[in-house]
Amino acid sequence: MSGIALADAITKKPVRRVRRTPMLPRWALIGGAGVVALIGSYPYYGSNGYMLSLLGKFLCYAVFALSIDLIWGFTGILSLGQAVYFGVGAYFVAVSLKLNYTLTHPTRYGGKIPDFMEWNGLTAVPSFMAPLMSLPFAIVCALVVPTLLALLFGVITFKRHIYGVYCAVITLAESLILQDFIIEYQAYTGGFNGITDYSNYVGAAFLWFILGVTAVFFLTGRVLTHSRLGTVLKSIGDNDVRAEFMGYNVANYRIFVFCVSAFMAGAAGAMYAAWVGLVSFLDTGPVYSVEAVIWTAVGGRGTIIGPFVGAFLVKGAEFFLSGTLAEWWQILVGGLFIFVVLVLRDGIVGTIANWVRRRSAGSFRQIAQEADRKAHDRQRDWQAEGATRHGEEAR
Amino acid sequence: MTQSIITQFLSGFSVVAILIIAALGLAIIFGVAGVINMAHGEFIMVGAYTAAVVGKLGGNTLVAIPVAFVTVGLLGLLIERGIVQWIYDRPLETLLATWGVGIILQTVTKLIFGPELYYVGSPKFLAGGFRVIGRLPFPWYRLFLVIVAILLLALVFHVIFKTNLGLEVRAVRRNRAIAGCLGIDTARVDMAVFVFGSGLAGIAGAVLAPIKSVSTAMGFPYAVDSFMVLVLGGVGNLWGVAAGAGLIGEAETVLSFIFNNVIGRLLVFLFIVVTIRLVPKGIFGYYERR
Amino acid sequence: MALLLEVEGLTAKVSGYTILDSLDFSLEEGELRVLVGPNGAGKTTLMSMISGQFKPYAGAIRFAGQNITGWPPDAVFQSGISRKFQVPNVYETLSVFNNVMVSLKGRRKVFATLFQKLGGEEADRIWEILEFVELADKANESADTLSHGERQWLELGMLIASDPRLLLLDEPTTGMTEDDKRKTAELIRRIAQSHTVLLVEHDMHVVRQIARKVTVLHMGRRLAEGPLSEVMSDPMVREVYLGKGKFQ
Repeated sequence: MSGIALADAITKKPVRRVRRTPMLPRWALIGGAGVVALIGSYPYYGSNGYMLSLLGKFLCYAVFALSIDLIWGFTGILSLGQAVYFGVGAYFVAVSLKLNYTLTHPTRYGGKIPDFMEWNGLTAVPSFMAPLMSLPFAIVCALVVPTLLALLFGVITFKRHIYGVYCAVITLAESLILQDFIIEYQAYTGGFNGITDYSNYVGAAFLWFILGVTAVFFLTGRVLTHSRLGTVLKSIGDNDVRAEFMGYNVANYRIFVFCVSAFMAGAAGAMYAAWVGLVSFLDTGPVYSVEAVIWTAVGGRGTIIGPFVGAFLVKGAEFFLSGTLAEWWQILVGGLFIFVVLVLRDGIVGTIANWVRRRSAGSFRQIAQEADRKAHDRQRDWQAEGATRHGEEAR
Repeated sequence: MTQSIITQFLSGFSVVAILIIAALGLAIIFGVAGVINMAHGEFIMVGAYTAAVVGKLGGNTLVAIPVAFVTVGLLGLLIERGIVQWIYDRPLETLLATWGVGIILQTVTKLIFGPELYYVGSPKFLAGGFRVIGRLPFPWYRLFLVIVAILLLALVFHVIFKTNLGLEVRAVRRNRAIAGCLGIDTARVDMAVFVFGSGLAGIAGAVLAPIKSVSTAMGFPYAVDSFMVLVLGGVGNLWGVAAGAGLIGEAETVLSFIFNNVIGRLLVFLFIVVTIRLVPKGIFGYYERR
Repeated sequence: MALLLEVEGLTAKVSGYTILDSLDFSLEEGELRVLVGPNGAGKTTLMSMISGQFKPYAGAIRFAGQNITGWPPDAVFQSGISRKFQVPNVYETLSVFNNVMVSLKGRRKVFATLFQKLGGEEADRIWEILEFVELADKANESADTLSHGERQWLELGMLIASDPRLLLLDEPTTGMTEDDKRKTAELIRRIAQSHTVLLVEHDMHVVRQIARKVTVLHMGRRLAEGPLSEVMSDPMVREVYLGKGKFQ
């Protein structure tokens, strides 16, 4: 602290307080514990196996949505290929479980290799896949490989100030190419049919495991975004040029949060594969990514609870309504995209939070205007080269 | 081997033409208004269904082209006025909203036309083909596509560089704020560009219908290819579209022949990523004067 | 005093136009230098080059003994240069307090920020700065509720928080009322008591209020340099400013 002459400012110093939200507010902890108890106790009071499987699935969806919220909601990077990381995590675990399953459950022709390998003329598990026989190794891969892929992607793009729409389009293509690969090399991936028929873990114990991981991730997300790092991330999402001229290596921050997010997506995929017992190329596709973006948007991006709420609401509605509504459900989903962009910009949680925060201060109209302006400011970046974006015209 | 690669290279011209046709509409919308229209593929799809209907009524591709232009142009007008005009300044959210539009268009089309595939024949006078070196048959219709691509490029050049609208478009592209201050109604320019771009997507659908079975999901791959063309070629310059389409089309055809489709696509993707790592705004990217 | 900033033969070209024409320029530690010149003289470009926004076409920039030519903006900042933009450039969605907090001098590495806690000393420092720029009452408000002038002051506060050796201030009084301008000039004068400041300014009232030494740029070259009164009586400078230059 260099001695700038502030003496007069110090002498008349009144008591000043910052309004800071605690990192883990009590109501959130109690509420979170309540939700965990409610979901975790389902196997003991509910008898509906379908509901049970849905709960586990939804938790994985919530973690996946959280991973999108971290990059999109807090840092302003929209990835349409987030499912790549989810899918890679899911495939590693599914392949491992399948390989082990076939050891004890030979196929119809007596082979001890997965059926999709047999159909494609393989007689033994290829050597490069053999290490996946070990489930712990597969789990490590499911967590590490997505993170490394994200690191690679980040180094290639963010270091060159490529983000915004360009990033969205490139991640979209990345995701489609992975799908192509899975379909083309079906001898190793199960192709169109995906990987199925293996012993998955459904039940109270594994539900608690998923619950625990989910809780840890959401707590991590909260701590991460409410630390100094979180403030820096928000400031980068807000005005990356200012942040860069304030000495922050913007690219490194983007890469870091992208890797954390990929790690969470990989973990979500791994748990999903173990719980559901079916992984297909659809779980790595852009459609799935964008769907998850919408869960986040509905729940409230830039909030930690938002992705959870959004995933449960939208997916819940899908499971209960899509049967009866048939095609009209799709139209409803399409409309939801438009609705969250045009009307419900801060999502359910964000809108409620704004309302609570401003209840005493201003009218609904002001709240709406402010939300409008915030959303407006949040995303001005579509140009590939960001460093000079807000920079004034030089002469 | 070498000779086969050369024939592949020649047949790649039609792939390039298809890419140019598909990407032009997206290019001018993205280039001027700065938004990615995720429903672009569905606009192409609607154009193709229009061609299918025209075909049922006895018309051929030449009739379908103007009809599709008008139909999809009107559709674009509806969507621009209803949704996109409010969110031009938030491109990432425009992307999400137009994705939603895409879903709705696919579903509505499925509700109207049913899930079955439609086939549209090419015009009678374009039936058959000729042989190029290496005895590879080259259908007349593919040559027709090449000609259409050239004509469309010329049309867009004419509109952008020879008409009043084009002048305003270029002004808005250069400096939106100043253009607005000088009395150009930038909102109207955006609208006109969006409608024109949508119409071009309609034309793309109409001429692509005969080489592809018409289904509700047919558009999306074209849209993705178009995005790649723009990313590689650069935004805001029509030569970029031609260059991007040329490189991607030829590389994909030749590489897919040497390896296989998937490896070909992967290599092209890596090529694109490496290129924009070197020149982030694409080959013909528009660099502001600073 | 030792030279803090040295610019040597700096040339900037944009699409064929020469904006800076092998400019030589230097700044001593502790100085408050005002950069004036007509539109297009290259003032902002010089700032952009120093702060790392653009790479120079030719020439070298040395700061505190290091050659910082072509460094990226974050590295330039780390070497001790903070820049204020012409248009207010703050984090709009963050609170005023947080705006200053993320600008505090300190480690900027990803993992360092992850575990950084706001210490009492740091908080005191933030309050001090907010008092200084008279924004303490608005500390908890989001920066997008501030007026134009308040944003300019907030940005000044952020620069002070980063405690640089050199502040680049690009027309900090643009678009302000006369009262606000006076207040800003006073702020700058006080900042300059303990920091080296390079200021671009158009408004002659402001310049008179604070200037010690002035550099006049014209057509990318240094036209004159010296105490304000001396420079303003220079016939060449008068020509440039009164439009009797070669354009007539």
